[in-house]
Amino acid sequence: MDFGLIAQYLANGILLGTMYALVAVGFTLFFGVLDVIKFSHGDVLMLGTFIGFTAWLGLEAIGIVNPWIQLVGVLLCSLAGTALIGAAIANWLILPLKKAPQLNTLLITLMLGTAIREAVRLFYPNGSNPKAFPALLPDASVEIGSFALRADSVILVISGLALIGALNLVINRTRLGLAIRAVAQDEETARTMGINYTLVVLATFAIGSGVAAFAGIMNGLYYNEINFGMGLILGLIGFSAAIIGGLGNLYGAILGGFLFAGLQVIGAALLPFASAYKDVFAFAVVIALMAWKPTGLIPERSSDRV
Amino acid sequence: MAGIEIRNLRAAYDKADVLHDVSLDVAPGKITCLLGSNGAGKSTLIRAILGLTPPNAGTIKLEGEDITGLPTHKVIARGIAAIPEGRRMFPKMSVTENLRLGAYQVRDEALIRQRLEKVFTLFPRLAERRDQLAGTMSGGEQAMVSIGRGLMGGPKILLIDEPSLGLSPLYVKENFRIIQGIRDEGITVFLVEQNVRQTLAISDYGYVLSGGKLVAQGAAADLASDEAVHEAYFG
Repeated sequence: MDFGLIAQYLANGILLGTMYALVAVGFTLFFGVLDVIKFSHGDVLMLGTFIGFTAWLGLEAIGIVNPWIQLVGVLLCSLAGTALIGAAIANWLILPLKKAPQLNTLLITLMLGTAIREAVRLFYPNGSNPKAFPALLPDASVEIGSFALRADSVILVISGLALIGALNLVINRTRLGLAIRAVAQDEETARTMGINYTLVVLATFAIGSGVAAFAGIMNGLYYNEINFGMGLILGLIGFSAAIIGGLGNLYGAILGGFLFAGLQVIGAALLPFASAYKDVFAFAVVIALMAWKPTGLIPERSSDRV
Repeated sequence: MAGIEIRNLRAAYDKADVLHDVSLDVAPGKITCLLGSNGAGKSTLIRAILGLTPPNAGTIKLEGEDITGLPTHKVIARGIAAIPEGRRMFPKMSVTENLRLGAYQVRDEALIRQRLEKVFTLFPRLAERRDQLAGTMSGGEQAMVSIGRGLMGGPKILLIDEPSLGLSPLYVKENFRIIQGIRDEGITVFLVEQNVRQTLAISDYGYVLSGGKLVAQGAAADLASDEAVHEAYFG
């Protein structure tokens, strides 16, 4: 295998890994503060991407065509909108079910995800067909031998990693982060310290959902296509990544995201004649990993939860 | 005006720990103790004051203002702090982070630092171990963190729930000495305990709870020699 192909696989893996990590941290944050799995996460991500796409249509319609201004507008609308949706779901669907068995929350969010997906398919104009997402990033590329390094990939990876870094700072260095970790470790004692529990839960869901929307926009900018089903596979991969890493652990989720992307890339490289099987390969390895380490690679006991 | 004034309180937590029509006063600047065996309703009373278990009936007043049913963070904002039963560390946080959480509602960083230093002066052991994860400390050290954390918010009223539970006699003695010191600084203390003799020795006034009802009350010195108190426990 030549250098160019290996570099291509590597660049692709890093980009996918960043994207998956951004989805996985949401699962881990939600599980941290509420001990729930929110299965609608992927579909909320899809909805957020469609909000961004709609914002782009709106900007085009009013004649704002500068791609950088469009990009800022798309990101602002998508992240803020999705953060609000995430907080609303927490407030009206997940917190009220707090005393119910966890299975109920799982079922409710599974159904909510389906409802969101079907609603976009049915009610978004021509929603059942894929949409061409605009290429807002420069399409320049640098040739290194037989490998073409795309400028948009570099920008996406750097901004994605910066977002993960910022999230890490928020969790470990700010007052809100201290409150989120306190709630994750002992809800009742956190309340006794004077922490507004409901507010912290809503903030956590807003942050996790906004971060996932960023992954959705990344996905759109990279593939230049979005569709109503995109959240299903991204959500499943993000969930797997969070589980592999040891649910409840922020670093585990990031590690899990990159590990899953690595598996996909290895699958695609090993099976060049049938790269469509890369997901089968990746999920098969995840199943094997779970059989080997049922509590994830970084078990919660020996590591910081959230 | 009473520090805490509880009237006709009815509350239930965990079914086994029920309060029937309890009325009591916690006098400002004093140590008021609540004695009783397991399941007598002591924890439910603390939870009701903190807003963790809203009462079914009755009122709780703090310095004359009704706080019944307020969410916990608003109760804490009125100047109450708690040292919970079992110490309740945040196990995966450092000693300093645990202490800082006690001052969660304090926005003045200089004041937080000043109080941290005060806690470290009170417990030099914690100063040495300020970066250690609280979950890896001994029970006695965790008790220090828990007491320090209760003081970090600068409370007017401190609720202390069974501080001697699970501690060696030496630490128990030390704990009671520190609680007296807290009272001497002007902080109102409401002390919930099973340890009758040592608790009454440092308290000013006491109540005895049995089966969710108050069965005795009086000046601590009088209660110490009261047969009813011993009946409530051992009868």
